[in-house]
Amino acid sequence: MRRKLTSIAEAAALVRSGDTVAVGGSLLRRQPMALLREVARAGTTDLSLITWASSLATDMLVGAGAVRHWEGIYVGLWWHGAAPSFRRAVERGAVTVVDRSESYMTARLRAAAMGVPFLPVRPVLGAGVSEVGDLRGVVCPFTGDELLAVPAATPDVTVLHGYVGDEYGNVAWPAQRDSDDVDMLMAAGSRRLVVSVERIVPHEEIARTPNLTYIPHTKVDAICEAPFGAHPGSCDTVYDEDEPEIAAWSRAGRDPDAWPGYLERTALDLADHDAYLDAVGRDRLERLAVGA
Amino acid sequence: MSGGGRVAASDARAGLEARGRVNEVMAAVVSRELHDDDLVFVGVGTSGRAFTLAVGIPMVAARLAQERHAPGLDIYWGNLLNPDLSAVPEHLSQDTITRWPGAYAPTDIGSKVDMLVRGEFDVSFESAAQVDRFGNCNITRIGTGALPDVRLVGSLAQPEHLAFVQRPIIVVDLSPRVFVEAVDFVSSAGHGTAERPRDPASRAPGPALVVTDRCVFDFDDRGRMRLRSLHEGTTLEDVLSRMSFRPEVPASVPTTPPPTDDEVRAIRHAIDPSGSLLRA
Repeated sequence: MRRKLTSIAEAAALVRSGDTVAVGGSLLRRQPMALLREVARAGTTDLSLITWASSLATDMLVGAGAVRHWEGIYVGLWWHGAAPSFRRAVERGAVTVVDRSESYMTARLRAAAMGVPFLPVRPVLGAGVSEVGDLRGVVCPFTGDELLAVPAATPDVTVLHGYVGDEYGNVAWPAQRDSDDVDMLMAAGSRRLVVSVERIVPHEEIARTPNLTYIPHTKVDAICEAPFGAHPGSCDTVYDEDEPEIAAWSRAGRDPDAWPGYLERTALDLADHDAYLDAVGRDRLERLAVGA
Repeated sequence: MSGGGRVAASDARAGLEARGRVNEVMAAVVSRELHDDDLVFVGVGTSGRAFTLAVGIPMVAARLAQERHAPGLDIYWGNLLNPDLSAVPEHLSQDTITRWPGAYAPTDIGSKVDMLVRGEFDVSFESAAQVDRFGNCNITRIGTGALPDVRLVGSLAQPEHLAFVQRPIIVVDLSPRVFVEAVDFVSSAGHGTAERPRDPASRAPGPALVVTDRCVFDFDDRGRMRLRSLHEGTTLEDVLSRMSFRPEVPASVPTTPPPTDDEVRAIRHAIDPSGSLLRA
């Protein structure tokens, strides 16, 4: 094992302009906001995103002008409505999209994790997702079944936010969590892997329950500590979503004149993640905590 | 306070009560479509009316069925098998979902996707921004040009639902913007199109039923949407005025069987006493 602990800025610097970036989390959970605010501050552009059900992460990066293409199963703010900047950018043609269904997306990520160039899936006949140009019909050599070949996802870099980790890059789940995401799969198939965690803990703490480690240090290039690193979304079992802040985000995002100021106040004009936490207010953040 | 204000307030209350009654009618209809030992998929849902349609009505229907004719019915909600529905919280946030007791929540959501594609789900519930004559659903984009007029959420697993679930049930309110001749984008394939029927290689039969706030549709043997029943107090003209295409209309259309007094009591006092499922 080798020490891979870095600052948030050093970790975020592994995301470069033009990269294809797999972004973890699902709906309002564990969107890697602290890392991606740093990516936005660095003036990174021309990113191509691969996501599961994405919300704040995709909307913020698109709203910062950092994205040219998105691929995934969903972008929205869940019960807070549409992802306003993403929606506007797609409607204007500023961001191109490839819509995937869940079985096609898991096949793409599993192929990457297995190190194979594609996986066959049962075709979703007649649906728009089956018209995407990178899919190919294949016939099973054993049964003759007509299947669809889905190419492996090939992100340049994968960005995830987790619960706890050690300085070597081992990242662990709590026993109770919301598991409706594909972070483990994204990590397994990553090429460059950047992870922020709520807390860096001693390796001994991770080592007591190695079965809870869902990302092994061998795959990680940089790990950093980012408390409340998914705010204003939630890190399940650590803190809940910040509903008033997401409502404010949604309001600002719907108004093209208001959004740039909102983004400056909440990301671009802040020096670092500490400044972000100060700007939000430490008391307010503590009130979102839900205990382990 | 003026007299007009009091009238408006009482109209609003009457409106809410009417909406509550319609939701109970919809839940009762759906519950009768559920069989013992079915594995039923319900999405996590969003908020307001969309939550009632996608989560509230399916959940109440499933529990009604469990308590009556389908004790072995299993609900898979989001990524949680058999959530404990004896106490639905007043306010859903991420944390209340995370801590919901249940039987199974796989560490990799791909496991749920596998169950879906293997054909292990009997029933699913679908929302859509557009539904057409053949039951094709659109949750991805409005507009057929190079750029969407309105970008919607994406695809999620709805394509797989209509492809691999045996009896998908579409739950939407009747509106000419929703019920269109042909969807702008086929997120999920129904019974084909006028030119091309549903792919015969499909591993499931396609959508079974469309349950709305005014009526219920099924599909005829050519895959065309057919009026099955009208909810109490709704006329055929009312239904047709809320659709952008004319469905198949049999010579006689019965009234949707309303919920029994027992069912209404069960919904109001045991299943959804706080109104958090059927409130909107």
